[in-house]
Amino acid sequence: MKEEFETTDMALFVRTSEESMHGWDRQRIVDALLRETYVDLDTAREIAKEVEDLILTSKIKMITAPLIRELVDTKLIERGLEQARKMHTRLGMPLYDVDQLILHPNKENANVPHGPEATNLTLAERIKKEYALLSVFSEEIADAHMRGDIHLHDLGFIDRPYCGGQSLEYIKRFGLSLPNSIALAKPAKHPEVLLAHMVKFAAALQSHFAGAIGWDAVNIFFAPYLVGMSDRELEQLAQMMIFEFSQQAVARGGQAIFTDLNLYWEIPKHFEKVPAIGPGGEMTGKTYSEYIEEAQRFVWALFDVFKEGDGSGRPFFFPKPLVHITEKFFQTPRHMEFLYHISEVASEKGNTYYVFDRGETAKISECCRLSFKLEQSDFEDAQQPWKMRYCALQNVTLNLPRIAYLAKGDDTKLFSKITEFMELAVKAHLEKKQFIEKLLSLGEKGPLALLAMKRDGTPYLRMDRATFLIGMVGLNELVQIHTGQEMHQSKQAFKFGLKVIAHMKLLVEKLSERHRMRFVLEQTPAESTAYRFAKLDLKYHSPKSGYIVKGDLSRGEVYYTNSTHLNVSAPINPIERVKQEGLFHPLIEAGALTHLWIGEAKPSKESIANFVIKTFRQTQNDQIAFSPEFTTCNACHRTSRGLQAYCSYCGSKEVDGITRITGYFTKLSSWNKGKMGELRNRYRNQAFIETRGGETVLLA
Amino acid sequence: MELIKVFTKSKCPKCPPVKEIAQELKKEGLVVFHYDLDTMDGLAEASFRGILSTPSLVIEDEEEKEIASWRGIVPTLQEVKRYISKRGP
Ligand SMILES: [Zn+2]
Repeated sequence: MKEEFETTDMALFVRTSEESMHGWDRQRIVDALLRETYVDLDTAREIAKEVEDLILTSKIKMITAPLIRELVDTKLIERGLEQARKMHTRLGMPLYDVDQLILHPNKENANVPHGPEATNLTLAERIKKEYALLSVFSEEIADAHMRGDIHLHDLGFIDRPYCGGQSLEYIKRFGLSLPNSIALAKPAKHPEVLLAHMVKFAAALQSHFAGAIGWDAVNIFFAPYLVGMSDRELEQLAQMMIFEFSQQAVARGGQAIFTDLNLYWEIPKHFEKVPAIGPGGEMTGKTYSEYIEEAQRFVWALFDVFKEGDGSGRPFFFPKPLVHITEKFFQTPRHMEFLYHISEVASEKGNTYYVFDRGETAKISECCRLSFKLEQSDFEDAQQPWKMRYCALQNVTLNLPRIAYLAKGDDTKLFSKITEFMELAVKAHLEKKQFIEKLLSLGEKGPLALLAMKRDGTPYLRMDRATFLIGMVGLNELVQIHTGQEMHQSKQAFKFGLKVIAHMKLLVEKLSERHRMRFVLEQTPAESTAYRFAKLDLKYHSPKSGYIVKGDLSRGEVYYTNSTHLNVSAPINPIERVKQEGLFHPLIEAGALTHLWIGEAKPSKESIANFVIKTFRQTQNDQIAFSPEFTTCNACHRTSRGLQAYCSYCGSKEVDGITRITGYFTKLSSWNKGKMGELRNRYRNQAFIETRGGETVLLA
Repeated sequence: MELIKVFTKSKCPKCPPVKEIAQELKKEGLVVFHYDLDTMDGLAEASFRGILSTPSLVIEDEEEKEIASWRGIVPTLQEVKRYISKRGP
C-alpha cells in the first residue's frame, strides 16, 4: 500500500506517441503487455512494478514512452521471454538519424530527389522495412538478408507487389473508376483525355507497386483515337505524354513514375485480328491491323520528342521507350527509315531500348522487361487485351560471390550452396505471397483496394499469373573466386559461368513445379545491391574479398559486377560483348540486357542501325541500350556531351553529369559510392568507335 | 577428326532418332558427346553453342569450331556423313 501511495505522488509525466502527456500509470505497462504479447497477468504486473521502481529510484522528471518500452524489454529479456520482447518491439528511428535524413539526400535509389516528400517516403520506408524483417519474414530469411547472403528488394514497400505490366485497353474500356476515388470518369472520348486517364491510373498504380509500371503496345492502343489528327496535333500529344511521365517531384515521395512504354513499328501478330476499342470505349468495328498508319505516326512523333530532349537539351529520364524488333518488323514497309530515326535518338540522347523478340512465337512484355512466349490461354487473353495485366510480386537477389567464398574452391560445395540460397529465396517469396494475399483478401475495403477491384470479373491483380523474381549479382566475381579467372579472361571461365546459371535455371523450373508458382531468373538491376554485397563481403570475407571486389577500395567505391554481365572495364569488342552476354539470355527470363557505354562519342545512326540488325540476326541477346554521357549546367542551363568538370558554354563549375546508372538516366550527384566506382571503370568502347570521312562509326 | 555433339532431352519425342544416328557414328569410330539439356552440364554446353531446341546435332573440328549443325531438326545419317572427312583405309 505504501508503494502505491508513493507512485500517485510521482511528479512524473510521460510523453506518449499520441502527442499528449500522461501522468504516470503503471497499469499502462500491464495493458500493453497483455495486448501485444502472450505474457500472463502476474508476469505483466511484476514487470510493471519493477520498471516503476527503476524509474522512481532514478528521480527522472520527464520520461518518454519509447524509454519505458525499452525498460520493459530489458525485463522481458531478463526473464528469457525472447518471443514476447520481439512482439513488444517499437519500430522507429534515433533522433540523430532523422536529423541527418532531413538534411541530406538518400542515395539508395537515385530516382528519389531530396525534399520533404522524399524524407517522408524514406521515414515510412524505414519503419516498413523494420516491420517486414520483424513481422513478415521468418527469422531465417531476415537474418539471411541482414548478413547479405540474399537481398530482399524494396522492403520499405513490403505491403505492395514489386512491379506491374498494364494494358491501356483496361482504362479505354472501363474508364477511370478507382476504388475510394470521389469522381468516376467514363471511358475517354478524346486522345488527351485518354492520356490524362493513363497518367492518373499510372499514379494510382505507382502507389500500389514498389517499382516499374510497364504499358504494352502503347502506340497501337492509342491509334484508334488518332484518326484524322494533323501532324501538329500528334506532335503535341506525344509531347504531353512524355512531359507528363517525365515530371519529377509531383508524384509519390517526389519520385518520378518508373514508366516503360512498349512500342511497335508493326502490328504484332497477336494483335492483328483483335477488335479495336475506340473513343467512348466502343468497339470501332475494325481490327488493330487497320490502324497501323496512326500507330506508326504516333510512335514516330514520340521519338521526335525524345530527340529534342527537355527544355535544356537533356535526355528525358522517364518514360523509357522500348521498341520491339521482330521478324515482322523487317517485313513492314519503311522499317529502315524508322530504325534510323530511333537510332538517331539512341546516339543523340540514348533513350531507345531495343528489345529483340526472335522467332515465330509471339512474345509479350510484362514489367521488368519480363517477356514470355504466348500460350493458348494468352492468345485468348489477347483477344480481350484488357485482361493482359501482369505482375512480379517480389524480387530476391542472391549474393553469388558470397557463395564462392564459402565454397573454398570445392565444386560440390559451390553448387549445393547455390541450391541452398535459391531455397532461401523461394522461402522469402512464399512469406511475402502469404502477406500480400492477406491484404488482398480484405478486398475493395482493404489497403490494396485498387488491386482487388473486379471491373472485368476478376481482380485487377491476377495472382495466378504472378511472377516471383530470383536475381543474381556478381556471377563474374563468383567465377573469379572459384576458378581464378574472370569470365572474359578464358573460355573455361566463361563456360563455368554458364554452368552456374544453367544450374539455377534448372532449379527454378523444378521449384516452380514443386510450389506451383512461377519463379524466374532475373538480371537484377542492382543499383545499390552490388554495392551492399561488396561492402558486406569486405566485412565478412576479408582479406580474400579485398582482391575481388571491383572499384576503388581507398575511396570506398566498391561494387560487384551486375548480374551475369562481363567486367564493365574489359576492353571487349562491343558486338562480341553483346554476343557473349547474350548467351546467358535464353536462361534468364527477366531483365536481360546489355549496356553499351559510348561516353561522349556520337556514332552515326547508320552504324547504330547496322549494329542493331547484327544483334538481332547473329546473337541471342534480348535487349540492348546505348548510353551516352552528358554534362548539364546549373548556371546557364545548357547541356553538353561527355562528363566535364566545367560547363563548355559558360565555364561554370556548377555542373552535373548525366548518364545511365542501371536501367535509367539520372544525375551523378545522386549516385551511391558503388555506382561511382563502376562509372570510373566503365569501358566506353573508344577503340571501336572510329571517324571515317566525317562520320563517327560504331564498329560491328 | 571431327567431333559429334548431340543435344537431347529425356522427354523430347523427336530425340530418339538423333540418338540412333549418334550410335551409328560412334560405331564408325567417331567421337560422340551426349548432352542432356535437363542436366546442368548439358544445358551449359547447349547455351554456349546457342542451342535452344532439341534435338540438335553439331559437328565440330578438333578445335571445337563448328563445321555443321542441325538445330531442332533431325538430319539423315547421309546428311551428317557429308560433313565428315574420309578416313584412311
Ligand atoms: Zn553553363
